[in-house]
Amino acid sequence: MQFIVEDVETHLAIKVTEPRIDAAIATPFKDKLREIVLKSRKPVHLDMASVDFMDSSGLGAMIAVRKSLPKNLGMVLCALTPNVERVFRLTRMDSVFDIRPLTAQKELRE
Amino acid sequence: MTPIERSEPGRGTHASTQVQPMFHRVLSARPITVRDTLQDIRRRFHREVSDDTLGRLELVLAEVMNNVAEHAPEAAAGPEGDARLPVIHLCIVRHANGLACALTDDGVSLPEECVLPRSLPALVMDDLPEGGFGWFLIQDLTQALCYYRESQRNYLAFSIPFAQTEEA
Repeated sequence: MQFIVEDVETHLAIKVTEPRIDAAIATPFKDKLREIVLKSRKPVHLDMASVDFMDSSGLGAMIAVRKSLPKNLGMVLCALTPNVERVFRLTRMDSVFDIRPLTAQKELRE
Repeated sequence: MTPIERSEPGRGTHASTQVQPMFHRVLSARPITVRDTLQDIRRRFHREVSDDTLGRLELVLAEVMNNVAEHAPEAAAGPEGDARLPVIHLCIVRHANGLACALTDDGVSLPEECVLPRSLPALVMDDLPEGGFGWFLIQDLTQALCYYRESQRNYLAFSIPFAQTEEA
């Protein structure tokens, strides 16, 4: 389970490198990500651009991680691919997470 | 809906026997095997079917097959338990208006509430649900969903409609 973690001043920037967040990896994904976000006391920005597919067990893992964050710390999801965005939208979880497009800087790098 | 054209009987027969891509697989209900199968399905249909439709197909099939894996009988959980994992038979055929799917498995019986109309789990901000989305997604993304159980097997059939711009 690989995450690229960068501690920038205002938040923790985490790039998810797994192409699929599905039933095969949902539990270790949740455990590892929760460990990372709980260590720092900062809001979390997840870069989801590399994730092509997520099912309901992957969604459950994301919700569990968000719930483990203290109330004052937000969780921002950046650059959702269409298949991942669909799951958040259909389950109305797009109203629970702060979903944003890629920042201009990252778009240049792509 | 594409209206069916009235034509000479000969021509109609020809159209209905047109070769359509299909996919058939027998697999063990194990998440990693489900994942490999989904990727093979994507490769099988990616030339003929839009990314949007393939995405909906992949999500529904992941939910259905991982449910079978998740609810496998306890005895199958041992290290050498592979032989006792439920076995899924999957068949997908491309039709004029969408992808017709049929699945059977010898796992546990499906609770009736799965196939009854259902809504999303309650959205309580202080205690968000972490599960209960699977069958909602299946029902939301499929058409003509039907289920029955016979001789220790579950039978599930449904269709994934094409996007409106895609109908063939």
